[in-house]
Amino acid sequence: MVGDQKSSGQAEQLVRPIETRYAVSGEVRIAYQVVGQGSLDLVFIPGFISNLDLHWEDEGYTRLLKRLSAFSRLILFDKRGTGLSDRVDIHHLPSLETRMDDVRAVMDATGSGRAALLGASEGAPMAMLFAATYPERTRALALYGGYAHFHKWVMPPERLEAFIETAETGWGTGATLPNFAPGRVDDPHFSTWWARFERQSASPTAAAALARMNAEIDVRGVLAAISAPTLLIHRRNDVRVDPDASRFLARNIPNARLAEIPGRDHPIWTGDVDRVADLIEEFLTGECAVTEAERVLAALLVTRIYDTARLGDRMWSERSQRFQETWRTLVGRHGGRCVDMHGEMMISRFDGPGRALRCAAALREAAQQIGVASAQGAHVGEIEARGPPAGLTGRVTMHLATHAGRGDILASRLVADLAAGSGLHFADAGRISIDELDEPMALVRAMSEQHLEPACRPKAKATEPACLTARESEVVNLIAAGKSNAAIAAELRLSEHTVKRHVANILLKLDLPSRAAAAAFSVRHTGLDGP
Amino acid sequence: MLTKTHAVDGTAIKRAIEGRDGKMLSGFYADDATVRVIDRNNPPSKPREIRGRAAISIFWDDICSRAMTHKVDATVAEGDSLAFTQACAYPDGTKVFCASMLELKDGRIARQTVVQAWDE
Repeated sequence: MVGDQKSSGQAEQLVRPIETRYAVSGEVRIAYQVVGQGSLDLVFIPGFISNLDLHWEDEGYTRLLKRLSAFSRLILFDKRGTGLSDRVDIHHLPSLETRMDDVRAVMDATGSGRAALLGASEGAPMAMLFAATYPERTRALALYGGYAHFHKWVMPPERLEAFIETAETGWGTGATLPNFAPGRVDDPHFSTWWARFERQSASPTAAAALARMNAEIDVRGVLAAISAPTLLIHRRNDVRVDPDASRFLARNIPNARLAEIPGRDHPIWTGDVDRVADLIEEFLTGECAVTEAERVLAALLVTRIYDTARLGDRMWSERSQRFQETWRTLVGRHGGRCVDMHGEMMISRFDGPGRALRCAAALREAAQQIGVASAQGAHVGEIEARGPPAGLTGRVTMHLATHAGRGDILASRLVADLAAGSGLHFADAGRISIDELDEPMALVRAMSEQHLEPACRPKAKATEPACLTARESEVVNLIAAGKSNAAIAAELRLSEHTVKRHVANILLKLDLPSRAAAAAFSVRHTGLDGP
Repeated sequence: MLTKTHAVDGTAIKRAIEGRDGKMLSGFYADDATVRVIDRNNPPSKPREIRGRAAISIFWDDICSRAMTHKVDATVAEGDSLAFTQACAYPDGTKVFCASMLELKDGRIARQTVVQAWDE
């Protein structure tokens, strides 16, 4: 489990990439990957589009695949015409039977005589057809968000053309995301990934053709012929496929059981991935995945950004998005994992407090550069091993972030005690009463080694150019001349890091949101000779 | 009776494994036998445990359904202990190597520990 706590991005860098191989199905090569060492073979049949390489770049997808491959030999593939598999003639699209036969080809190539099949979305009717055609090779069937008839449960014919038009004209921009995962539309990182996922899984014309082909799906006639034990999973408010689709399957597949779970987003790798993986694991192995309340010790960091009133809505929206992207990058870089986001409150977790605080210092610097106010809280305690940290440790950390002032990194005394020897410096910051705690909690303020900011903001109205040091004045002049930090560093014979520090201090002293504002300030307050 | 009790020795194990004979393999185990598997996903402090002959039969059925080759290389027997190594290969070239230690009781396998490593 420890490995799972690391950010997927970092974990991927540490392990060798998954090898992609090709099976031959007729004259078409089907790309596949095998991961995991379990005694049970599990073939994952993806939905509409897929790309074997990109799956490992999304946190949710990686989590799903890691969970499934922890108890099985997981066989993944891209259907013909999608992802890394051979393209097909879009004027002569393969039938569902042909595509189903690709499953057999991949199983043959991997030496899988008999496998459990996991069919997600459009992958479900393919899995059903396989189970009915090759009962001796189907050990069990797990169908997620599946259906037997497209028009009845996914989209009536009159809405299909509008969807195809959206897909075709906006393909590659992530325009289809609201149709699949409306809950992730506001997540810029995921939206960007989704747009790449579209581009690298199918061309626009192929996507439209695939959508038309999927619209032909009707496997209602084969349901009675499925003899393998079947588990159906469907999210109650699935936006893409009506849950009635799985209820129909439950009534018509002889040995089927339906698990309806909360959720709205359709892709199997979004939403509560662990819940889905738990159900599949329990169904296939007969054992509960992990005891429910597994708790681990972790350092939590809550990063709060604000300044809407000062910046105005539009500028705020741009900057907060930029900060969120930076937040993901920096948390990953410091070995942490982004676990939750509530508006402008971002929660990440780390294996130790030192990493959390170093990340906090980097985030504070990033916030200054982007031009938003940041306030952070860090605390150490036990949290649920899985899912967002909903317990006491999470609430205390959020409380600290709310209590922290502009640029502050407030931490519990415990964090400072555990970080002894890390080279980090702390200043006493009094005590805070929290309803759920018996006694007021002792706090410290984390001071980074570089002392990027003064512990207290200068009270005086610090907008006079005179308050800048000579060096800072030089820097602000060069900013006004449109030079980058690297160029300024070269010109002043300083390190880029030092220039960054100067820029941060200038913005802070002048209470300005960005380099551009500093440049404008410089022009306003200076003659040609500078401030 | 579906599963016959076979005498367990290195030769019988070699024949059953190399012949991918799940039924024969299952017949080697005591009713309350335990198989522990240690590999990348199941570290020594938390090995995968398969308890009882019914579960062990499913385990071997799954493995024997794979179109792969198994070769039992070396077998060592001493009292109620038996050890062997096994080299396996999938049709796409992926190799697996396993070392097994068996504890016998009344001529059947009571406990088996498998340590395996995979090409990845």
